[in-house]
Amino acid sequence: MDEAAVARLVPGLALALPRVPHRGRVGEVRATSAGSSLELHDFRAYQPGDDLRQVDWNAVARTGDLILRIRQDEVSPRVEVVLDGSRSMALSPRKAACAREVALLAAEVAARQGLSPTLMVAGARPERAQGNACRAALQVAEFDARDDLSASLGRLPPLRPCGLRVVVSDFLFEADLPALCSRLSRGASGLFLAQVLDAEDLDPSGGEGARLVDAESGAALEELLTEDVLAAYSRRFAEHQRGLRAAAMRARGTLVTAPASESLAALVAGPLRPLFLAGGGA
Amino acid sequence: MSFGFPWGLLALGALAPLVAAYFLRRRQKPVVVSALFLWRTPRPRAEAGPRFERFTREASLLLEALAVVAVALFLADVRLGETARTRHLVLVVDGSLSMSARGPDGVTVLEKARQEAARRVEEVDATLVTVLASGLAPRVLAGPEAEPSRALAALESFHAQGSDHDPMPTLIWAQELAGAARRVVFLTDVAPENAALVPESVRWMALGTGRDNVALVSAQRRDEGNTATVTLRVARFGAGPQEVEARVRAQPGPGAKQGTERVERVRLPDEGTATVRLTFQGAGEVEVSLPDDALPEDGRVRLPPAPLRPVAVGIAEGLAAPERQAVERFLAVAPEVEKGASTGETLLIGPRGTDARVTVGAAGTLRTFLGPFFSEKGHPLLDDVQLAGVRWTAGDNPPGRPLVTAGEAVLVSEEEGGRVHLNVDLTRSNVQRVTAWPVLLGNVVREARRTREGFPRRQLTLGEPLPVVTVPGARYTLVGPEGRRPVFGAGAVDLPPPSGPGRYVLERDGDEVDTAEVLALDARESDLRGRGAVDVAAREAGDDEEHGAPGRARWPLVLLLAALVADFYVTRRV
Repeated sequence: MDEAAVARLVPGLALALPRVPHRGRVGEVRATSAGSSLELHDFRAYQPGDDLRQVDWNAVARTGDLILRIRQDEVSPRVEVVLDGSRSMALSPRKAACAREVALLAAEVAARQGLSPTLMVAGARPERAQGNACRAALQVAEFDARDDLSASLGRLPPLRPCGLRVVVSDFLFEADLPALCSRLSRGASGLFLAQVLDAEDLDPSGGEGARLVDAESGAALEELLTEDVLAAYSRRFAEHQRGLRAAAMRARGTLVTAPASESLAALVAGPLRPLFLAGGGA
Repeated sequence: MSFGFPWGLLALGALAPLVAAYFLRRRQKPVVVSALFLWRTPRPRAEAGPRFERFTREASLLLEALAVVAVALFLADVRLGETARTRHLVLVVDGSLSMSARGPDGVTVLEKARQEAARRVEEVDATLVTVLASGLAPRVLAGPEAEPSRALAALESFHAQGSDHDPMPTLIWAQELAGAARRVVFLTDVAPENAALVPESVRWMALGTGRDNVALVSAQRRDEGNTATVTLRVARFGAGPQEVEARVRAQPGPGAKQGTERVERVRLPDEGTATVRLTFQGAGEVEVSLPDDALPEDGRVRLPPAPLRPVAVGIAEGLAAPERQAVERFLAVAPEVEKGASTGETLLIGPRGTDARVTVGAAGTLRTFLGPFFSEKGHPLLDDVQLAGVRWTAGDNPPGRPLVTAGEAVLVSEEEGGRVHLNVDLTRSNVQRVTAWPVLLGNVVREARRTREGFPRRQLTLGEPLPVVTVPGARYTLVGPEGRRPVFGAGAVDLPPPSGPGRYVLERDGDEVDTAEVLALDARESDLRGRGAVDVAAREAGDDEEHGAPGRARWPLVLLLAALVADFYVTRRV
């Protein structure tokens, strides 16, 4: 993991937060809850127990009814970064490093943005870290899960409502993708699926391989990597990607695909641009 | 389970590279991929899971091994149950010397017979084969009911060196061995003299070729003192050369420093034989060879030294002067006789009334006969004994079986133990003055020689019975090219003709007594003019030939197909 590259990029980036109210601790982003900010959110009739300071006395004068001003809270929304810890993420050292870098960049940018980053590593032994501990957690994170993300999510602590959820994975597994995306988007105002793919995932080189072994399950398949077989793989991969993108859209999420072969700077300027906005402003 | 062609099991050797390839593939570095499901075709039914996938290679190996086994079983013509029914073929190979004759292509008839035998076995699809060699005494070369490969292998090592013989006893025996299948093939080099006499289930296949030939028809050697006399008879059969060179090489004997080699040019008459006589001094073994022709075997002989064994003759005390003079006059000119020896084997001639082997003299009332004389016809003691013009004075009849009589008088008699009595008074007879006397005594000496321990004849040709004389009370063994065999019986025994040429040694209680050489000579076998090729079918077919021989079992092919399909299914592509 090239932490220096991450550190160079963080100052100039900001996470693309959704334009809907957020939840979170007191902060700078409008919350979904009523609070004490200056921005008016709504009016309603007074109920016993309400804060009398919020009574709109002008309205009382006009109408004779006790009308209460409801103002929105200003909160610091949570950002959850979920890193897939399955073995396929370590297909190559570059893929593993790229996944760590994207997760770290999201956490670091969120922290700099004043948000509360939480990192969850869905490995064989789930890890959870917050704030500055995210970096250390990513440094020791292992891609050792023998199952895919949809299965390893069950081992994680429950996903909590958050402002933005970034899921870093290769999403190369057989699962009910709409259901998975729906689950990942639950409780999150915004969802980004950051798909990190190795060069061999995108474009298998073939060679003389005759025994293909699944990185996670260990299942084997006898196959000579001929041109026809490679073409068939490309067709199925493209179909899988279409299905994943559609599932993400239905869950109001965004799929960004990051080829691990490219540098992090190139990824931020390219495929990851929807997630990382240039400018560093919140 | 049985195999019609066991060599087909060699196909099992393909298992070795198959297993080797399996382990080599196992050692091949696997390619790890992120998503295996993208590489294979989605299956409508549920996957068997990783466990199944893990054993794909092993299942493929087993199926491929099964396919190899199926191929091997098919090639080996496996038979189970009903199909394992045996098919017995009896092959009879002519064991006579003429089977070693070369054709114009240089191939011996025996080699052609071997090839034909292999073809017969293949054609009949025989599962059991018996191979007999015909001869004066038929021999079993393989079997009864041996595996075809073993039977053919036994035929490979067989050498036909027997004498001329009638093959019918062998063919009848073969027909009995063949059983119900009655499949007998006789491989020879000459057409049957009368096809009607051939047993009905015998297929007679002659593979010979008419050839001209020059051969030795007899070879004799006599050793007298230091001189060896070799007598050869050479015959030409057909339009051969008018003259041949006989090369005679004598190895140095015990006292000689070097051997001798002579080349004799022998003129061959159109019919009959040419005789060559050579003498050598201090010769050891003598080798005679004629130029190679269609049958080289009958042009080569080896003659070991055959020293004369003179008969020791003694004259007992008490023999009257006329009888003694007559006997001594004979002994003075008789060949191979050693007078005066006194060993245990001495032929003792004595007066009447003694226990001498031969008694001469008359006692009692003397009577003189001029004839007619009646002789025991065919008795060896009386061979060529002509009594015409003889005046024979005899006394009382001696004991024993009468051999020559005149009226009621017994002139010559022989007892059970071989004692011979000459009832003659030589003072009143003229027997000793006519040729009958030396001939009669010569016959007596010859019979004495014949009853000596050992081989009466040192050189024999093929097909001759092997005479041997043994002494009662001792254990004898005959050692020849075919091994050792005990000799039963005492006295003069005629052993069956040896089946092949070579040196035969008679041993008494482990000690060598005498040797004889059987020469590969047989004039009837050397005459190759009447040989030819003919195929006389059997007049009566075997039981299962009528129904046709079953073909190879098909189920190994079905097994092979199933294994290949299953292997294709297991290892099929995405």
